[in-house]
Amino acid sequence: MATADESSGSWFGADGQVSQRRGLLFKLSCLGATLLALLLVLVFLLYVANDAIQPFTADSGWLATVAATVVLPALALAAYYYRDAGPSGTVAYISLGLPIATTLLTGGVVILFRHVISPHGWLALAIAAAVAAAVLEAHARTRTASALERLAVVVLVPWFALIGIPGFSVDYTVKTPLLGQELFDLTMSVPTLVPSLRGLIVSLPVLPTAALSLLASFTLPIAAVAAMYVRRVRESDRAGAIGGVATLVAAGLGMVAAPIAGLAPETGVIAATVVGTPVGLYVESVQRRGEGTAGLAFPVVIGGGAVLAAVLVNALGFAGPDLWLDWQFLNSSHSTTPADAGIYPALVGSVMMLTVVAVSAFPIGVGAAVYLEEYAPNQGRAGQFVEFIEINIANLAGVPSVVYGVLGLALFVRTAGLQSGIVVVGGFTIALLILPIIIVSAQEAIRGVPDSMRQASYGMGATKWQTVRSVVLPRAMPGILTGTILALGRAIGETAPLLMVGVAAVVRIPPNSFFGLFSAMPRQIYSWSRLISTDFRYGVLAAGVLTLLIVMLMMNASAIVLRNKYQRNS
Amino acid sequence: MADNQFGRSIDALSRRKFIATTGAAGALAVAGCTENEASEEDGLSGEVVIKGSSTVFPVSDAMAERFMEEHDGVNVTVDSTGSGGGFENHFCPGDSDINGASRQIKSEEQDHCAENDVTPMEMQIAGDALTMAVSPENDWVDCMSFDEMSQIWQEGGAETWADVNSDWPDEEFSLYGPDTTSGTFDWFTENVVGEGGNHRTDYEPTEDDNIIVEGLEDDPYAIGYFGYAYYEENSDRVKALEVKESEDGECGEPSLQAAQAGDYPMARPLFIYPSEEAVQREEVYEFMKFYLENSSAEWIADEIGYVPSSQEEADANLSALEDVAGN
Repeated sequence: MATADESSGSWFGADGQVSQRRGLLFKLSCLGATLLALLLVLVFLLYVANDAIQPFTADSGWLATVAATVVLPALALAAYYYRDAGPSGTVAYISLGLPIATTLLTGGVVILFRHVISPHGWLALAIAAAVAAAVLEAHARTRTASALERLAVVVLVPWFALIGIPGFSVDYTVKTPLLGQELFDLTMSVPTLVPSLRGLIVSLPVLPTAALSLLASFTLPIAAVAAMYVRRVRESDRAGAIGGVATLVAAGLGMVAAPIAGLAPETGVIAATVVGTPVGLYVESVQRRGEGTAGLAFPVVIGGGAVLAAVLVNALGFAGPDLWLDWQFLNSSHSTTPADAGIYPALVGSVMMLTVVAVSAFPIGVGAAVYLEEYAPNQGRAGQFVEFIEINIANLAGVPSVVYGVLGLALFVRTAGLQSGIVVVGGFTIALLILPIIIVSAQEAIRGVPDSMRQASYGMGATKWQTVRSVVLPRAMPGILTGTILALGRAIGETAPLLMVGVAAVVRIPPNSFFGLFSAMPRQIYSWSRLISTDFRYGVLAAGVLTLLIVMLMMNASAIVLRNKYQRNS
Repeated sequence: MADNQFGRSIDALSRRKFIATTGAAGALAVAGCTENEASEEDGLSGEVVIKGSSTVFPVSDAMAERFMEEHDGVNVTVDSTGSGGGFENHFCPGDSDINGASRQIKSEEQDHCAENDVTPMEMQIAGDALTMAVSPENDWVDCMSFDEMSQIWQEGGAETWADVNSDWPDEEFSLYGPDTTSGTFDWFTENVVGEGGNHRTDYEPTEDDNIIVEGLEDDPYAIGYFGYAYYEENSDRVKALEVKESEDGECGEPSLQAAQAGDYPMARPLFIYPSEEAVQREEVYEFMKFYLENSSAEWIADEIGYVPSSQEEADANLSALEDVAGN
């Protein structure tokens, strides 16, 4: 930059003595801040992990076996990948991470189908939705002329397919408009008038088993998507068909194999679908590109090493570490005995609560952001008012969470009369809490869409609505999704609002509906921190914290993956 | 993406639909099984909501666990909100069925309940020995009278140990105690601090008794009080004081036996308050019956560290329950 020193009139640096010391100091202090932050978090994580897993309670023979069969080969292989520095390193860490991540996701899906919607309910929903879509499609092809009829069909067909006409009752006194004289009472109640297609399917006397329902309504769509994807990337119908059929066969095998491993057949179907499909697609893509195929050996070596270690340890009789975070912990409910205590009902509660949060906060938040960015006036009095609202939304994002707890209690329990401590109350309260965050981040994402794209769209003769729908929203979606998932990550860790709306410390039965009493993971962890026994306050608590952290890290990781994916596409 | 291969796209769509239809139809055809809804074993189902004292919480939690082993259809949820917090925010508004309390219900709380047509029933289900504890490094005091404790804990009370007894060191107190929402605080204020002075506010109040234990452990001039169960769990980290009711009385060591026998002056009763309205529901009635029948069981002393109620008390509570439930 051409800048002159005004006092001397000479150019900066003209005397050849530019001091770099200040710049260096600044750089070093920034580095120091980064390292300090990382170190603090790392130390905390190590503490928690050590309490939850207690690696040093294991026999030294156990540790040596695991080191020899899993850790050393993994390190050697990692060193090779690092030295090689080719794409195989990337392939190695993705192919190791993908099965782990998808296994965790499987857990979430299993919980969803066990407690939120039954496989039969899902089957009925899927069939009804498919029928409605088919009817709509047929109508669109045969009767193209009438717009009004089209509107009626679009509204009514999904309505009858999914909802039907439920029964209702009316109890109303008809009065004269002005004087308020009572004329007559209108009291009637009707049973279900027209059951929905969904309801009809659920009430059928003969239904396929749960596992087959899932195979048809869960795996099949995923297989179709996989087939479509393979067909597109390989540009071959045959490859697509093979991909789709392979997905179905894998899920079928999972259904058959699960009972042998002592699991429910539904779990087998879900696991084979959720783990198998992405892993299969990834392996296929690595094979197709033909780059870094050596990386695929990494998970095989680690998995094989783990199996070998398990066999050896069993044969030699070494005792493993005294885990707090184990299968039993994940799969059982709180107990007064620390060793029997588990987090399962709270895990289910958190998943159900997050469902409510996502379903209620996302549409409202994105809708508000779209309005504020695209439609709201930005000039004159109205513009000032809009700006005032925006500032307040940004401020709301910083309001302490306990205040939202009080708000939720007042709004949903005292005013709306919902029972305290149930899933929807907790979910709505947390939704209020993260709503400002979603709005602000969605606004940022929409603002990030270049104005030239809007102008180009208008230039093509598109309307405002078409521009928003087909240009702005798709382009802003990665940013919106990232913001939403990060907000959900915050939501899953919130405790104070749950305390305020009366979510109980101990709930031993996971909720079976959105109106059931529930507990959430942070609430459960908080209650463990206050129990008398030290085993609860260190061991069980650490296991709970680690579970919560893993779920949160998974959500953040998926936010990153989503963002990267969309950014690459756009 | 498929604009340039429109023909193929439609072609593939119909094939996909074919697969979907045959797949669904095949699944329907293959399956002959209907799913049997899992039936409740004894037909008892519903919800029992317990809030209230953190002191009573371990008892209610253990009762809930044992009850649910027998009746797995009943969802008993337990929460610790403090005695007063439970009455104020949950029980009296009618949001909970049972409230635990480490003191008796206050008259204003009864009024609050009456406004909402909630009728609390008082039931003593266990006893506790309130424990005054100091640091293990404290070697100048082993026994304290109610009067001395009152001097330490009343509003505007003693500032240094020497203020209470000239033999003690001239060092300031570090005071740790339960929060004002706690029933323990209320009981101590009423029975030990006395009517002359209120409980002082310049102490370290906490809902978490573990913080009191940590405070006592770290500071030789600290003093604090909590339930006996916490002392039992941490008896290697803090030193419990013996107490006497009057100057010439006999010093009593805190223990469950002493509390049960009535020898320990700071023994206090623990209560639960079911509402008469809730007891009309079968699941609440069954749970209360289970609770009261077990309130005299030995495991309350062994596992939780409280004094079980006497058989007579349990029987009296049971007959009161029968009267209200109308069985």
